[in-house]
Amino acid sequence: MKSLKYTFISLVFFFSACEENLEKPLLGSLTAGTFPQSESDAVLAVNGVYNSLRVWNIHTGGFPLLDIMSDQMTKGSNPGDGTAIAPYDNFSHTATEGSGDRWYKTLYQAIRRANLVINEVPNAAIVMDEDLRARIVAEARFLRGYFYSQLVQGFGAVPLVLVTDPALDLGKTSAEEIFNQVIYPDLLHAAEFLPEKSEYSADEAGRATKGAAKALLARLYLFNGDFVNAEKYALEVIASAQYELEPNFADAFSHDHEFGVESVFEIGALPFPFDQGGNQYGNTMGIRGTPNRGWGFGRPAYPWIVMMQTNNDPRMEASIIFLGEVLDGVETGGDASTPDTTRVDGDIVEIEVYNQKIWHPGPGTNESFGHNKRIIRYADVLLMAAEALNENNKPAEALEYLNEVRERARGGNAGILPDVTVTDQAALRLAIENERNYELAFEGLRFWDLVRTNRAETILGPLGFVKNKNELFPIPQSEVDISEGRISQNEGY
Amino acid sequence: MRHFTKLFIVIIAMIFTSSYVDAQDFKISGTILDSETREPLIGATIIEKGTTNGTVTDLDGNYQLMVSGSEAVLVFTYVGYKSREIRVNNQSVINTSLDIDFSELEEVVVVGYGSVRKSDLTGAVASVKGEDLLKVPNASPVQALQGKVSGLQVLSPSGDPGATPVVRLRGVTTLNNNNPLFVVDGVIIEKGVSDNSGSGTPLDFLNANDIESVEVLKDASATAIFGSRGSNGVIIITTKRGVQGAPRINFSAELGWQRVANKIDLMNGQEFGQYVNDIDLTEPGPYNVDQLPTTDWQDEIYNDYAPIQSYSFSFGGANEKVDYYFGLGYFGQEGILPKSGLERITTKINTNYEIAKNLDIGLSLSVALKEKQNSPGVVNTALRAWPIDAPYTTDPVTGEQIFAEVQGGGNALAAIEYTNNVNKSIESVGNVFAQYAFLDGFSVKSSLQFSLGMSKNKSFTPEYFVAPLQQNETSDISQEYNDNSFILWENTISYVKEIGVHRFNTVAGYTTQRVKSEFLSGSAQNLLRDGESFWYIDASDGDPLLQDVSNNASHSAIQSYLFRFNYSLMDKYLFTATYRRDGSSKFGPNNRYGVFPSLALGWNLSEEAFFPDVSFLGNMKLRASWGIVGNDKISYDAQFPQIDQDFGAVFGQNEQYVSGAAYATGGNPNLKWEETVQFDVGLNFDMFSGRLVSEMDYYVKTTNDILVNLEPIGYSGLGAFQQIVYNVASVENKGFEFSLNWQDDIGNFNYKLGFLGSTVKNTVLELGQDIGVDSLIVAGDLGNGQQVSRTAVGQPIGFFYGYDAIGVFQTQQQVDATPHLFGQTVGDLIYRDANEDGILDGDDRIMLGNSIPGLVYGFNTEVGYKGFRVGLDFQGQTGVDIYNGKQAVRFSLLNYETRFLDHWTPSNPSNENFRAVSGGTNYTPSNYFIEDGSYLRLRTVTLSYNFQQAVLNSVGAQSLKVYVRGTNLFTKTQFSGYSPDLGASSALDGVIDKGVYPITKVYSVGLNLTF
Repeated sequence: MKSLKYTFISLVFFFSACEENLEKPLLGSLTAGTFPQSESDAVLAVNGVYNSLRVWNIHTGGFPLLDIMSDQMTKGSNPGDGTAIAPYDNFSHTATEGSGDRWYKTLYQAIRRANLVINEVPNAAIVMDEDLRARIVAEARFLRGYFYSQLVQGFGAVPLVLVTDPALDLGKTSAEEIFNQVIYPDLLHAAEFLPEKSEYSADEAGRATKGAAKALLARLYLFNGDFVNAEKYALEVIASAQYELEPNFADAFSHDHEFGVESVFEIGALPFPFDQGGNQYGNTMGIRGTPNRGWGFGRPAYPWIVMMQTNNDPRMEASIIFLGEVLDGVETGGDASTPDTTRVDGDIVEIEVYNQKIWHPGPGTNESFGHNKRIIRYADVLLMAAEALNENNKPAEALEYLNEVRERARGGNAGILPDVTVTDQAALRLAIENERNYELAFEGLRFWDLVRTNRAETILGPLGFVKNKNELFPIPQSEVDISEGRISQNEGY
Repeated sequence: MRHFTKLFIVIIAMIFTSSYVDAQDFKISGTILDSETREPLIGATIIEKGTTNGTVTDLDGNYQLMVSGSEAVLVFTYVGYKSREIRVNNQSVINTSLDIDFSELEEVVVVGYGSVRKSDLTGAVASVKGEDLLKVPNASPVQALQGKVSGLQVLSPSGDPGATPVVRLRGVTTLNNNNPLFVVDGVIIEKGVSDNSGSGTPLDFLNANDIESVEVLKDASATAIFGSRGSNGVIIITTKRGVQGAPRINFSAELGWQRVANKIDLMNGQEFGQYVNDIDLTEPGPYNVDQLPTTDWQDEIYNDYAPIQSYSFSFGGANEKVDYYFGLGYFGQEGILPKSGLERITTKINTNYEIAKNLDIGLSLSVALKEKQNSPGVVNTALRAWPIDAPYTTDPVTGEQIFAEVQGGGNALAAIEYTNNVNKSIESVGNVFAQYAFLDGFSVKSSLQFSLGMSKNKSFTPEYFVAPLQQNETSDISQEYNDNSFILWENTISYVKEIGVHRFNTVAGYTTQRVKSEFLSGSAQNLLRDGESFWYIDASDGDPLLQDVSNNASHSAIQSYLFRFNYSLMDKYLFTATYRRDGSSKFGPNNRYGVFPSLALGWNLSEEAFFPDVSFLGNMKLRASWGIVGNDKISYDAQFPQIDQDFGAVFGQNEQYVSGAAYATGGNPNLKWEETVQFDVGLNFDMFSGRLVSEMDYYVKTTNDILVNLEPIGYSGLGAFQQIVYNVASVENKGFEFSLNWQDDIGNFNYKLGFLGSTVKNTVLELGQDIGVDSLIVAGDLGNGQQVSRTAVGQPIGFFYGYDAIGVFQTQQQVDATPHLFGQTVGDLIYRDANEDGILDGDDRIMLGNSIPGLVYGFNTEVGYKGFRVGLDFQGQTGVDIYNGKQAVRFSLLNYETRFLDHWTPSNPSNENFRAVSGGTNYTPSNYFIEDGSYLRLRTVTLSYNFQQAVLNSVGAQSLKVYVRGTNLFTKTQFSGYSPDLGASSALDGVIDKGVYPITKVYSVGLNLTF
């Protein structure tokens, strides 16, 4: 009996001693709410925002949808592969398509990361270098402005989220309001507080700069038809003397000239998987088959090739990989089960070619993960300046910037691509639009160019574009459903 | 941990030092015989009534026992016989005989934290004898339970040696982990002992030869004592212990040979060439069909008659103070795919010592060593490979035979050659306990239970080049080490007592448990040499950019109070109540504790006076139970929103990866337990003097607050495909289960017939409406982004969803006049405009099928004549659909199944199979790819011979059995894949055949010898 009593007492003691053992904290990771707390945390946090630029889905859900939706590309790859993105090629996509859903969610994921930095790093409890603090906040605001601009351009009115844990009952905020409340203020703040490109050390290349903020402002003012501001910021970038055109067009996106003189903003990437610094954007578009560099989505459109050939434009060779072409010693064989040539009623409609702008030299499949996607090139800035100046009735200055781009494209061959001389506003407008088509092909810009200039119906109508509908992507159906309609569907979907 | 161990030692020491009085002073001996045959009963139990003092009979039925006095009463019991009580009355020799109890009602059934008499059982519990587990040649004893227990479904998604079977008891209870809880000799086993992923079926450390019995606990009355872990049912395994008498030595051996059970019908070279010509591509083709060669890729990769062997040795015995059992086993199985073999050594020690009067200590220990070659995933490679491509070619430079480029997914033989992936593990499961009986009917028991597992995985791929799409640019090595521990301390006090017409069986206890898992993995590239002696990270080129290391851990704890009260009045009226309170670290402080009660009533109708006294009726019992059981099978970190440090960026003119941190997984601090409320009514009866024994149950199980991963609203910024665990869903399962067993003798023949079956209807009642999450779960990814399964309110979990294909377009006019998808043309499938709005779009997709079978059944028969015995086990299921995913995925031009031979062409206007294509809209998810998964399988057929006693006596053996057996010899099914016996590891996916390691036919011979 005595032993029973002791046993009992021991057990009671043991029970009470054990109560707190049910606290089992997270191992190997921080719990949200405890970060950032220090200068190094702040740097980690802002790097985490840049990380979003390499997330596969941040590129329109992983696939070059904006290029596929333009007249510059078709779906590509094997006819049987990636059928889920085929609807975008002929504008039959619906609100349940996965790519749009992934793009939308990944943009908000990026915005949340930026909101963490913008809201927490200014907190005085974090002891850190004040210049660095200001720069980090400005970097995060640049990136938030960029992500929101993608979101608004893609989806129109969307929920406005400026905190890391938003309420669950948000509705839509108009695109105009988001531009005025967030995107422009963020980018103006960034333009004020970020260093110029030359003010960063070589190790920091790739971080947001004053020039990048201003160039993005110019792009967005153009998008919204504010030509005065577009001109102002494009010219400020030009006047900053931070940038110039690469002498050789192909170098504007080549591996050797990453973070080069023409680069205004680009995404650094290494030829490894994502978690070691890779960016699958290039792999998605890379050569399918031989050499195996990717999936081959986003195939340069045959009419674009014919047009460039007709113009004798040497930029075609630098933009397109043809079957049989040898690049850096590697011959392109392409995919065995993809037709080399597709005909309809005897006419060629498509040939197996690949986007050379994402080519990355080296021996293996991983190489295509190393391509640095250029978000803004100086050539784009020059063409934006030209466009804004033309719209502001300054054709002479516009021609100067337009022809600067053409001259580089000519590559010293005086017999081709003569200077543009028209000063009629409409004719010059078309010349600039065309130049953007030649110069900036497959860079995700053409579709927005056609939408913002109201030319989409004319150019893309034959491909299936429906006016007053396809200017925007549909809001993901799950978002409409979960919000029980507070977040309403875009018109036409 | 420190005070934990210290206290345990203190308590053991206190128990050991307790005093007792020795009162055994009266010696009785005798012989116990079967009342009819007059054969001695070996291992019959003799207990002095009201004490734990007892012994068992030896090989000749003899016993000796010291009793407390001449007035003592001896209770003679033997499994399957009616017990008998005899007062000693100064006799020193008591010989007696026992009558067979055909109803076997006095059998004891192991339930959680104790055992109860079968006649007193109020819950739905099925028992399977250990010998039944030996019928299926497989590393996992669970496999053999298939078709043995009504309501239990054991599916084999893969024929890979050591593959994890999918086990489902009474339907699909939850949207996440549906594995039942396993309890081996009292040790709770929640997942594979050395397996970090938490998915494995956890009994690989057990040799089926060491198993005495398996009990399957089905209703809440039986499972609620396991509280938060019991809702998927509980399977209790009891291993063998030494029995009284001379040491018994057993040796058994089995050799088997495996072949692929059936091949998939694929096109041969000429058929493929013709089909490709019909696609009318510019390249490849057109082929001159008559000249095309054929490679049968299935023949190339599958070995015929891959051996499987199993040897077991055991040694056991007991006397009054000690019982002991040692087991040693070897299991070796080569897969039908090269490099997929499994080897395992198991050891088992079960021993008990009575170290003082009323004080027992014991140990139950299993240790297993395993080595598994992880098979190269080449089944799909072989199914997709072009049959016109040969596996080998001649190197134009060296003239050597080399692997050829094979289109359609690669050269499977090369993939096998270059795969080197081995997993080695050591698993140890044990239970050390002390038990002390005191007063009259009380006992306390304290046990320390553990399961410890360590595994290491090594994978090496050399540098090689077969084709641009099949090459490895640099050799690489990866290593992973896992370390898992589970420690549980259990303290119970029990009271078992019969007072007049009242019988009590009560247990109360406290348990506390800790679980920890940790892994460390590393990888590197560019090894100095390809040889196995260089398969270490230090042999790599040391390039830090090519090296990777990773390490993390998880941990959790549970503490519980439990109680069970079992009461029987006049053997007629039975009552059971259980209660358990669990606290788990997996949930935040607000919802940390859960309470799981159950109640049950039983009524032995046949004991009533009014029960008709007709000779063909035997015993009859009605049962009813209700209870709440929980489920906490979620990750320990589901409550925490995380920030991880692996979200880096690349900066610098000389590009460098720079660390970054950001939100990783989301968390939900308000998580709580899943609760399953289960109601069960049952009937047990036997008839015709026990020849017919039957049990049936009807149950309704509703699981509420199901922990489910759902995507929250997109703007919350979790990212694409990111989900959070919520307590939102509710699922109902209801069904009927029955088993019928008949056994009889006709002269020298004896025979048995058994039939069992279960129905289940699964319905999702709620799914996260109104809490800001996506209440539709889309799953079942085929691997190409197409998702074919959904879970939604009002439907079963994981039903198939897509278009309803109703024919093939024959003319362009028909295409123009019918709603169709963009690009559809003549020869394509017609999808039904289900909502009849004149437009064919996503809204026309409908529910197409269900992969939770409506009826699962098994039947078996055994016929014996003298020493010969033939046994057949059948099992099957109906009312189940399977999505033929391997046929529905076309990344590029791949080989086709022969179904497509009869495709639409202008001259062959098939209305069933679409025109020849390499991909495209005809591969949109539709019921064209759904097949009936019903089947009836002859699981095993065994012919055995038991040698006569006379022969055995001459060599001193007790028994010798030899047998031949066939496993999976015959399956009747419409399903075109390797086996319809597929399970979904996640119920949300439904059952999709994505190309599995095939199930095998096995022919085996074996012997079992006992001395």
